[in-house]
Amino acid sequence: MLEGIWSGLTTAASPINLLMVAVGCFVGTFIGMLPGLGPISAIALMIPITYGFDPATGLILMAGVYYGAIFGGSTSSILINAPGVAGTVATAFDGYPLARQGMAGKALAIAAYSSFSGGTIAAILLLIAAPSLAVVSRAFQSTDYFALMVLGLTAVAAFAGKGNVIKALLMTVVGLMLATVGSDPSMGVPRFTFGMIDLADGISFLLLAMATFALSEALMGIIRPKSDADRLREMEAQKNLGSMKVEKSEIKEMAPVIGRSSVLGFFVGVLPGAGATIASFLAYGIEQRLAGPKKGALFGKGSVRGLSAPETANNAACSGSFVPLLTLGIPGSGTTAIMLGALISYGIQPGPQLFERNPEVFWSVIISMYIGNVILLVLNLPLIPYIARVLAVPSTVLLPMIVFFSLIGVYFVSFNTFDIHLMVLFAVVAVALRLLDFPMAPMLLGFILGGMMEENLRRALSIYNDSWSFLWERGLTLSILIIAALVLFVPMIGPKITAALARRKETAGEGG
Amino acid sequence: MLTRDRIGALLMLVFSLFYWLHIDDIRVLPFQASSAMTGQTIPEILAVLGIGLSVLALLRPSSSEKLVLTGFQWRRAALICLLMIAYGFTVRPVGFLISTSLFLIGSIVVLGERRLWVILVASVPLVVLFWALMTQVLGVFIEPWPEFLGE
Repeated sequence: MLEGIWSGLTTAASPINLLMVAVGCFVGTFIGMLPGLGPISAIALMIPITYGFDPATGLILMAGVYYGAIFGGSTSSILINAPGVAGTVATAFDGYPLARQGMAGKALAIAAYSSFSGGTIAAILLLIAAPSLAVVSRAFQSTDYFALMVLGLTAVAAFAGKGNVIKALLMTVVGLMLATVGSDPSMGVPRFTFGMIDLADGISFLLLAMATFALSEALMGIIRPKSDADRLREMEAQKNLGSMKVEKSEIKEMAPVIGRSSVLGFFVGVLPGAGATIASFLAYGIEQRLAGPKKGALFGKGSVRGLSAPETANNAACSGSFVPLLTLGIPGSGTTAIMLGALISYGIQPGPQLFERNPEVFWSVIISMYIGNVILLVLNLPLIPYIARVLAVPSTVLLPMIVFFSLIGVYFVSFNTFDIHLMVLFAVVAVALRLLDFPMAPMLLGFILGGMMEENLRRALSIYNDSWSFLWERGLTLSILIIAALVLFVPMIGPKITAALARRKETAGEGG
Repeated sequence: MLTRDRIGALLMLVFSLFYWLHIDDIRVLPFQASSAMTGQTIPEILAVLGIGLSVLALLRPSSSEKLVLTGFQWRRAALICLLMIAYGFTVRPVGFLISTSLFLIGSIVVLGERRLWVILVASVPLVVLFWALMTQVLGVFIEPWPEFLGE
């Protein structure tokens, strides 16, 4: 293991990779600040550029972009109350009120220190958890991987929120359906190609990601334009960020919050489907409760704890989400799904083999995450007043740029104009689905896992002589499938059972 | 009542039915006839899941909100989509520099920008710079000029 860490360290610390982390953090911050554009779009826009790089460098760049995008989202949350990503919505609860009180600089510094600390603690946890899980996962067979993928997909749907579970499941199925387009992986028989040669190789994941995220988000911005004037007015109000100094008493107040939120964020991030958004809200809620009535009442009005908790947790969750990706090859979120797609296109299959065959990739990504945190703190924080100027670029220029980079990013990979037209079609459908409140991330996850799921199922069936009995005969597979069922059905049925029990208790009480 | 959720579910049902109807087009090779998994197996499972979930969403919508389509800039979005389609058709025959510049100029104008210097600065120099970066630095060849000039 030490050898692996050393090789990862030397890879991550090479000048080109250090440059890539810095560029990734910078570009990610830039894109993450734009309202509506999140880390998925930011990473998707980067993928075409990384095709010429070696896998470690490409992945390091994308990890930097991921962190940067989250940090950028926090910045726009604090400065103009416009979270660029869902994971930073909770940051705005106390960050924006602080900025309104003339303490934007302090709020940004608290967010940066919390993110840095959360990322650091999570990187250490990742250093311990990832290799251990990678070792355990060596015992996994195709049947278990199939079950794990089912668990990953159901968890994403289950965490979609109240009333959205069926929609998220439907989108997952749509993603799986789209993954079947192209040649059947085992026999090469064409499926759903409608006689078109352009579809023979299937739909490119980059095309789908770019169309359903970057391009459709740009189209949504065109359909529902937010007034540039409002944005500029807010920017003008925050022109003077104020001091970035954090008082000793505030650091003292933040320290235990950071400790708790880091661990919580990391473990929530490891869970498939949960991710940064749930981690940040959970940390915020817990800290509000722990703060007691006096300090708890300050939450939402500019509380240091209220800002520190979600910022720490969302960054820690980002690191946590890499655990299932790197060790099992199963992404737990839309963002890690797109990273998996990129890895596969580099010819690298994440999972226990990655740990053994490409230790430099495995470790350099983990180490570069830490370097990314340092860069965000020492480089991005002082530059925020300048980077924030991106928010002043009029949307009449910004949106065409995003459209252009989305189209060209896909075209430059295939040089096939059919891809541009297919992208427009997917983007239009994605806009319609967004207006109908259908989530996009489960679709992307379904699409990326679809091919792998089919391959593992095929392998499992061939091991078990064409019998489906592995679903109930192999203990580990069955256990994972039961967990998947519980994850899906308990949130649906649980409240109803609780309500029924409460009703019965009430009736019994009245009767007695 | 045709709520937002029900419209979505209906669209999903149509898509799932369309998918299901085309499963028969997937050829099953003779030696696969008796095997547990063919090229049709996964699509069949997915079609059943898709139809089942769509029907469930139709019968039990999560909200009774109606779909509101007013107050949106449909015309602008449609024009941008048309520009993208046109860009797909022109990028090869007209060449990268001209077609991309025209696409960006068109998009910026469609979105309501009227300041000439902004339109020009945000389009032509950016395209030339991007082209230079791709061809000179990253080594990706992109035909800059129309096909007939390149011959």
